[in-house]
Amino acid sequence: MVQLNRQYGRQETASEPRKIRVIGVGGAGSNILDRAMLDGIDHVELTTVNTDVQSLTGSVANQKIQLGRNLTRGLGSGGDPELGLAAAEESSEEIQSAVAGCDIVFICAGLGGGTGSGAAPFIAKLAREVGALVLVLVAMPFTFEGRRRCAQAAASLQLIRENSDAVICFENDRMAELTLPRMGIHEAFAAADVTISQSIRAISNLLRQPGLIRLGFDDICSVLRDSDARALFGFGEADGENRAHDALVKSLRNPLMHRGEMLANATNVIVQIRGGANVTLGEVGIVMEELNRHVSDRTQLMMGIAIDAGMGSRLSVSIISSLGDSSDRPHKAEAYPALQEPERTEIEVTRERVSDPALPTHVPEPAITLRLEDERPIDGVKLDAEPVEAIETRAPRKENGKEAASADKAAPKPAPKKIEAKQEVLQFDAVSRGRFEKSEPTIIDGQDLDVPTFLRRRVKVG
Amino acid sequence: MARDNIFVGLEIGTTKVCVVVAEARHDNTLKILGVGNAPSRGIRKGEIVDFETAKRCVHDAIADAEERSDVEISEVYLGISGGHIRSFNNRGIVLLEEGREEIDEQDLEDVRTNAREVSLPMEDCVLHTIIQHYFVDGQGGVLNPLGLFGKKLEADFHIVYGIRTRIQNAIRCVKELELETADVVINSFGTAQAVLDKNYKQLGALVIDIGGGTTDFVVYVEGAVKQSGVIAIGGDHITNDLSIGLKIPSARAEKLKIEEGDVTLGNAFPGETIVLRDETGFAGREIERETLNQIIHCRVREIFEIVQRQVDADQNLNYLGAGVFVTGGSSQLRGIEHLAGEVFGLPSRVTAPLPLAGVTSAFENPQFSTAIGLVRYAHLVHLDRPMARGILSRTMKRLSGIFRT
Repeated sequence: MVQLNRQYGRQETASEPRKIRVIGVGGAGSNILDRAMLDGIDHVELTTVNTDVQSLTGSVANQKIQLGRNLTRGLGSGGDPELGLAAAEESSEEIQSAVAGCDIVFICAGLGGGTGSGAAPFIAKLAREVGALVLVLVAMPFTFEGRRRCAQAAASLQLIRENSDAVICFENDRMAELTLPRMGIHEAFAAADVTISQSIRAISNLLRQPGLIRLGFDDICSVLRDSDARALFGFGEADGENRAHDALVKSLRNPLMHRGEMLANATNVIVQIRGGANVTLGEVGIVMEELNRHVSDRTQLMMGIAIDAGMGSRLSVSIISSLGDSSDRPHKAEAYPALQEPERTEIEVTRERVSDPALPTHVPEPAITLRLEDERPIDGVKLDAEPVEAIETRAPRKENGKEAASADKAAPKPAPKKIEAKQEVLQFDAVSRGRFEKSEPTIIDGQDLDVPTFLRRRVKVG
Repeated sequence: MARDNIFVGLEIGTTKVCVVVAEARHDNTLKILGVGNAPSRGIRKGEIVDFETAKRCVHDAIADAEERSDVEISEVYLGISGGHIRSFNNRGIVLLEEGREEIDEQDLEDVRTNAREVSLPMEDCVLHTIIQHYFVDGQGGVLNPLGLFGKKLEADFHIVYGIRTRIQNAIRCVKELELETADVVINSFGTAQAVLDKNYKQLGALVIDIGGGTTDFVVYVEGAVKQSGVIAIGGDHITNDLSIGLKIPSARAEKLKIEEGDVTLGNAFPGETIVLRDETGFAGREIERETLNQIIHCRVREIFEIVQRQVDADQNLNYLGAGVFVTGGSSQLRGIEHLAGEVFGLPSRVTAPLPLAGVTSAFENPQFSTAIGLVRYAHLVHLDRPMARGILSRTMKRLSGIFRT
């Protein structure tokens, strides 16, 4: 069994790398791209898309697409989303060719203006049509930019949500909390760009360097797809004696995390711990334990650990999650096979792709064996179904590890899952009315208002 | 009755029984002589569930008030609440017979009776029929049609009704203590008299009284009662939510709510905790402040949202020029006015009763809004109809005009 795992470890490096493209739309989008470029982002193709030629020429991206060559004649879209959309439609062929063959497309845009608000939803739609996972990172305007821009941004965000797999929404108002009010405006915007580029980097790193305890494309899919597409992201890096704790605290302090409180509502959370060769089990324990305090009992924590020599003595924690629609999520979890339906098709595609390369039975690297022992106890907790299946299924299915496992989970597991859910429901009813147990119920609009609001609305507290 | 100019308001609340004794002075102002109160038991959601226990509490409160005000109480204005209380608006029409064109008192009486002639469930009885507007021959804006010429008199009324037996329970409780019930008033009307002045009523205002067991609200538009309602949710529910959510006993939850509760989200530092101490001062469990606030926030927001929906359903939200007035014991929760402002999108404030002469400490506390409102109501009734009549015969008549003040 260990051998199987080793094979799978080898496979990872041998498999075809995922093609990731980052598209910056509009002025703000290209700024984010420039920032990402400055910070260093590897193995990712960058594309700037804009109506404004001047801004386009200033961009450092290696591919540039001018939108609406005839429509705007190289000028901006003047804050009109409809013009932005029309321009994007005019250049739809170019965009299509840019996203063709991509596995993951990041789209960065600042909403509120014309090009970003108008074109970003359209580009997301095109990218999704070619079968890519579309992650959109948007910056919402400052409230002081006026109601109209805010309304445009909100309308566009709604469209983006419909047309993408996940949206990570950066509210400039909240980003401002990162910086001091008297800080230069340039620095303030730079801070926002840094956060956005950080999250691109963290996700793309996670995909490129799956690590010891592997997290990959499939995990991101399961966390970000099929949600109401509001993503949470946190990234923290620290050094020194207390680095595990510090990194986690930093990641939770990220403005997108709402101080960690949003995490309580998430059903799936990906955590990736990345560090040099000296990451200890204890440190992993600290991070996970503290994180556990912020999530609900139902939340599935997916942990990944990556060893990256380049990190030196630093340790970083990335947290990715999304807010599901709280009303139907738990329901989905109990109807397990149903949940799998949309995901399965997508998994099949990826599996095909990966199983293409011949199955080499390489001799595993001896260096890994030692660490694998570290991995076992944690892995056992995380995904107990895996070892069993490792024996009964053939190697090709196994090679992409968890996606096979998660797909297979539907088969061996449904019975215990269902019982678990039922118990939960029963308990839910029993405790809920407290001291009003014996009094006449107050029922308004079909809701028993004696049941605590936070229980009825499934707001996760504490 | 000792003196004719003494008014006593009695509110049998879920948390406390409150009695206010006031004296009408010659210049037509009120002076508070004393306030008595006692913690209540045997009352849930504003209704008596344990008669004997509740009676004892009312007795204690009355005794307390008598002692403080040095008045022997013989007659009270009783405040009523409970989820069974409903209301609606209806129009009454009276056609004057041939040959008579001047509208007289009998016509006013008839139009009121006409408006009340709707089929109510058997067990219900009408508590209030409050005039909103008169129309004479289709012409609106008539404040007092008495003596006007016309062929047709119409009038809009706000009618409040409730389950008869439940109202009788409260009355009986008072009666068994050898007290007369001068009138039964729903709490929200009382509260409105305490916190709204004429100007606010004219501008349009929503009064929300979040008490222990119920939330009572009333909407004034252009000086008339447009809408009223009782939702059987109050501070007790917040306590219960905390008790369930934090897994602590009710009494502890109540204390925590009063001492630390805040309805504002995101006010606490991440990870900020409150240490629960037991009676002996030992530090026990730690509770995250944000968790506490979130549970409270959810409940209070929901209460406001329910009121908002009901007021919005009648499209009265746009007429509330003076905004939202939040009062009652639970209005002491920190940050509640901001939450109300957020939900209603209107200027909102927490208010204590408008000042009267006398015991001033009573006005600083929104807990006493209803009881003080009851004496204000009683006083208004008194001013409106100075000649006292039999209690029963007055019940329906003298309300005309009161809520226009």
